[in-house]
Amino acid sequence: MLLIDKLCYRSNLRYVNAGEKFTYSLLTLCMCIVSRSILLALLVLAVNSFLTVGKGGIPLFRYRNLMLVPLVFLLLSTLAIIVNISRTPLDAYAIPLGSFYITGSFASLYQGLQLILTAMASVSCLYFLALNTPMTDILNELRKLKLPGLLLELMLLIYRFIFVLLEIASSILTAQKSRLGNRDFKTSVKSFGAMVSVLFVRSLKKSGALYDAMESRCYDGTIHVLTENYPPKKAEIFLILLFEILLLLLTIWSKLR
Amino acid sequence: MQKTQKKLIAAAAALSIGFGIVPAANAMHIAEGYLPPTHCIVWGVICLPFLLAGFFSLQNTVKKNRRALTLIAISGAFIFVISSLKIPSIAASCSHMTGTGLGAILFGPLAVSILGLIVLLFQALLLAHGGLTTLGANCFSMAIAGPLVTFLLYTLLKKCKVNKKVNIFIAAAVGDLFTYCVTALQLALSHPSEVGGAGASFGKFLAVFAPTQIPLAVIEGILTVVIVIAMESFATKELRSIGFIKEETK
Repeated sequence: MLLIDKLCYRSNLRYVNAGEKFTYSLLTLCMCIVSRSILLALLVLAVNSFLTVGKGGIPLFRYRNLMLVPLVFLLLSTLAIIVNISRTPLDAYAIPLGSFYITGSFASLYQGLQLILTAMASVSCLYFLALNTPMTDILNELRKLKLPGLLLELMLLIYRFIFVLLEIASSILTAQKSRLGNRDFKTSVKSFGAMVSVLFVRSLKKSGALYDAMESRCYDGTIHVLTENYPPKKAEIFLILLFEILLLLLTIWSKLR
Repeated sequence: MQKTQKKLIAAAAALSIGFGIVPAANAMHIAEGYLPPTHCIVWGVICLPFLLAGFFSLQNTVKKNRRALTLIAISGAFIFVISSLKIPSIAASCSHMTGTGLGAILFGPLAVSILGLIVLLFQALLLAHGGLTTLGANCFSMAIAGPLVTFLLYTLLKKCKVNKKVNIFIAAAVGDLFTYCVTALQLALSHPSEVGGAGASFGKFLAVFAPTQIPLAVIEGILTVVIVIAMESFATKELRSIGFIKEETK
């Protein structure tokens, strides 16, 4: 139902220690946005694509399609950065429009390119985490970061409920479609409203039932889950460390230049 | 030209314009890595007081009534699911609701701040909308500013005895528009224009996203009205249990 969730359970890197993956993607992400260097972004993009597609075994076309998801936002907002309206033309290009110019400078074109590449590299870090680490493992890592218990418990329950509700919603949608429930705009708005309200009623029923089930199994305020433990490997830690030091040096170099 | 041919061309033209303007009108999540690090941190810190208030209020609710925990959790999942479903739109494109406006009307803005944070985290990890570094900024615009405006407008208009449908429509649509303005402001502050500074780039970001966001706000308004009406017609008991229609029963 949720593509990313489905893919990450099939990844070959699924049983690599979650802490390693978590630290790797967050550190790399930070390096990306701190340095904003094109070289570093390309390097990160290449390494992450290799790790996710080559090592993790996520199909290439899926990975490509997922990388295109944020592209609309990136293109639109970068358009706003590189296009200026001004009385004086700038150095890269200038289209006269009455007494004004639609214009841009080389600096802003460079900045736009830098931004898109940085964002794509950061997105690849996010995907490395999301496509290779199941949500339950991520929640375990967050538990180690000492987040408040109530928050973690809520996240665990919400994650569980998302699939329950998606299943209800998708079967209602199928039923509506097979009865021409989205024949035209007006009908589909009506159907959507009906679907959401039924979803709401069912959700509340499910939440009551879940609480009863939990209470009958001695729920006393904390949900205990068994975690599988995959110890970190020295070689992997070494490689991650090496890569991060390389990125750090690149960052420092790009800032000093 | 035959009549059917004309119709066909008109339909094709309408479709192509629709596709051209609205490629994919998501709620406007700022993509991962798009904000400089200082902005990420600052927006995160700005969110903190709201999140803390939300967290403590949830903690109190749960302490008073343990049963509320699963109810709060399912509300979060509910917001996630309605924001991940494709909504009907006139141009055949793929757009989504924010869902937090409806959440604020049903559950109140304090609960929505924390639920919105969790939903945004899941959206980043499961749907690739938004990101981890931009979580603070997105959280402020979508889980705090928008829902707060929706809720305030809703309570204000209710006091003024405005027709309920009109009230919900205005509250949801204006909340959505406010989210869009806040996001444009966040983008403008982090990437000020070289001519005219942040003010000019605010205008530019507003203009660039207007074709996708303004129709989306209207549709979100309509849908929220339809949903609330449908809920009131056959979920009165459930609405009472979350405290949505307690004042009417007195």
